[in-house]
Amino acid sequence: MPHKILIVDDDPYIVKYLVDILSDNGYATCSASDGADAMAVLEREKPDLVTLDLEMPNEWGPRFYRKMTKEPAFKDTPVIVISGLSGIHLAIRNAVASLKKPFDPNKLLEIIRQTLGEQERSQAAQASDDE
Amino acid sequence: MSHSILLVDDEEGIRTVLGLSLADAGYNVSVAATGEEALRLFDQSRPDIILTDIKMPGLSGLDLLKRVKNIAPDVEVIMITGHGDMQLAIQSLKQDATDFITKPINDDVLEIALNRAHERISMRNQLREYTENLENKVREQSARLVEAERQLAAQQMMDGFSVGLKALLNAMDSTLGGVFNELPCFVAVHSRYLEIIAANDLYREKLGNLVGHQSWEAYYGRDKDSNGCPVLTAIREGRGSRTEEMLVDKTGKGIPVLVHTAPILDNDGEVELVLEISVDTSEARRLHEELRLTRHRYGQLFDEAPCYITVQDKQFRVVEANRRFREDFGDAVGGFCHEVFVHRQTPCTGCPVQRTFNDGQPHQYETVVTSRSGEQYNVLVWTAPLRDAAGNITEVMEMSTNITELRKLQDRLSNLGLLLGSTAHGIKGLLTALDGGIYRLGSGLERNNTERVHDSYEDIRHLTDRLRKMVLDLLYYAKKRELNWEVVLASHFAPEVAALVRPKAEAQKVRFTIEVAPDAGTFEADAGALSSAFVNLLENAVEACTADRAPDKKHAVHMAVSGLPDRVEFCITDNGVGMDRETREKLFTLFFSSKGAAGTGIGLFVASQTVQQHGGSISVGSEPGKGTTFVITLPRTLPDSAKSEPRHPAPAT
Repeated sequence: MPHKILIVDDDPYIVKYLVDILSDNGYATCSASDGADAMAVLEREKPDLVTLDLEMPNEWGPRFYRKMTKEPAFKDTPVIVISGLSGIHLAIRNAVASLKKPFDPNKLLEIIRQTLGEQERSQAAQASDDE
Repeated sequence: MSHSILLVDDEEGIRTVLGLSLADAGYNVSVAATGEEALRLFDQSRPDIILTDIKMPGLSGLDLLKRVKNIAPDVEVIMITGHGDMQLAIQSLKQDATDFITKPINDDVLEIALNRAHERISMRNQLREYTENLENKVREQSARLVEAERQLAAQQMMDGFSVGLKALLNAMDSTLGGVFNELPCFVAVHSRYLEIIAANDLYREKLGNLVGHQSWEAYYGRDKDSNGCPVLTAIREGRGSRTEEMLVDKTGKGIPVLVHTAPILDNDGEVELVLEISVDTSEARRLHEELRLTRHRYGQLFDEAPCYITVQDKQFRVVEANRRFREDFGDAVGGFCHEVFVHRQTPCTGCPVQRTFNDGQPHQYETVVTSRSGEQYNVLVWTAPLRDAAGNITEVMEMSTNITELRKLQDRLSNLGLLLGSTAHGIKGLLTALDGGIYRLGSGLERNNTERVHDSYEDIRHLTDRLRKMVLDLLYYAKKRELNWEVVLASHFAPEVAALVRPKAEAQKVRFTIEVAPDAGTFEADAGALSSAFVNLLENAVEACTADRAPDKKHAVHMAVSGLPDRVEFCITDNGVGMDRETREKLFTLFFSSKGAAGTGIGLFVASQTVQQHGGSISVGSEPGKGTTFVITLPRTLPDSAKSEPRHPAPAT
């Protein structure tokens, strides 16, 4: 089963872009246009990774992140910040990476591959420990 | 001795007894039972002495003392005090009472107090005589001298004169602070044949022993007759004069002097001798010149300083104004600062001049003033107290620097900075989206995914539009634009703007209607700038409708144009999402966008700037979920400030 990635961004063009890049590279995707929306999609789709824009109407990225990490089921879900705001690396400390718009799609794919690969390894290790 | 005295006491017994004994002593007595009555009597008869009880119902003796001293500081006031009023007695002495006597009144004590009052009165009179009649005295004294001199030989007269002069100078000493004594005088006596027959020591020492020489020889540039010296004038006209002359000393150096001459007549009334007294004025002249130079410098500084300077009195009346002030605000002297400078009927709140009068400290203040040609200037005002010799603040100097250009530049720079900072973010978003469009177009072509190709092509088109609009808005704001104004017909302008917006509205399924009242009339405007402002506002209304997700709602935007005598009103109503209060308040500030990534945040800001530049205003009413109404009001005639550029010939709309 392919990994599923949740794309959170209020710009529909950028959502389309990310959806196409990711699906072209074998990932399943889902998306949300603001923080409030994203929480619902998160519960429903249980993605393996989240790309998160910071500045959005209704609910900003950092707030969504706080809510997400309070849920035990999602607290370890890796987050990649993709935003045009400067100083974004400070906004969400535990993000796997912070990419500035406009971003390099290859770099994004590389980070996603690494992140999901590591996670799989650690999960596999955990599974073997459990045995 | 017929001094008048006013006796004030609330006890009738004392008034009667004391009144009688004072009258016996030769005084001209009037009596008053209260302080108030005493004041009235005082005003009518102005007595020399007031004898008043210190404790009275109503106006007390102490109050009476203060009041009369205020009116006439010279009046002598003797206080009558009871036992244990020592504190009051001392207070009254501090208020310049002559003396105080205690009850019961001892005649001797009273006499001493009265004598003291007399002494003070006569001392004061003498003093006044001295000061007021000094000139008369000088005249009398010299007359007496001249009279004496007639009887004496010239040299004897000199001696007498020296003594007299010394006495005179001593008499003046007290008032002139000894300066006169220090001034060297050259004294000489001339015969009627213009011969110097006597001279004082200083004359001989400085100018040489010219006795036996011709009268004009001591003078610079004077000769025998056509250009005669003051002595000649005195002989010819038979009277003295006072002129400024230049003498030549032994070494040939000039000494500026003030020459007084006095002819001495013989028994037949013919001029026999001429007394010549010259006072060296070089020091006085030097000081005078220095003063003149300093004044000149200050005057220049005052006029040429690159700010508006006025000196104001306590009523904020302009006492002096510098050249720059007069140029821009007219001849303000005598007018009130707030009238001339700020065009107000009352002083400004927080007036720095007032504050400086209050605390003696310099103050700063920033305000907007209007010149006589109607231009508005931002000024930074500094004030400084001007004090008299006693240290009291009599006037305040106000210096105002015109910082209009600075303020404009500051506003513009900070807005530009804000603009660039904030568009950077928007542009990054747009570039990312364009990256996406290009990626999707490319990958669509690779995979022969026609749908993706078409879709991404549409996206790129939209994104390029957005980018173009953003860049144009930016350029619009970055460049300061003068209004290229013309007279615009509202009934032409409104449909033209509508035609620009209608296709977009219809594409979004938003009904778009306009209505122009017959009285809409004309107004002065830069049609180009204003129409892009209106397009921004109308597109905003359309977007508010499309953003509304309420199902089955028929969305519509309506623009109504109506006329008032002096202005035209455009009312744009939509039934879209509406706005909360915060959104409404921030709406026209730079880079506030309620549209998330879809808005640049510049559009409405530029729109409101344009409307403001036209002297108009925009007001907003809105309710979330119900819709929004913008009312744009434009004056029929542009304010002068907007017309600074000459009118461009432009075809009528």
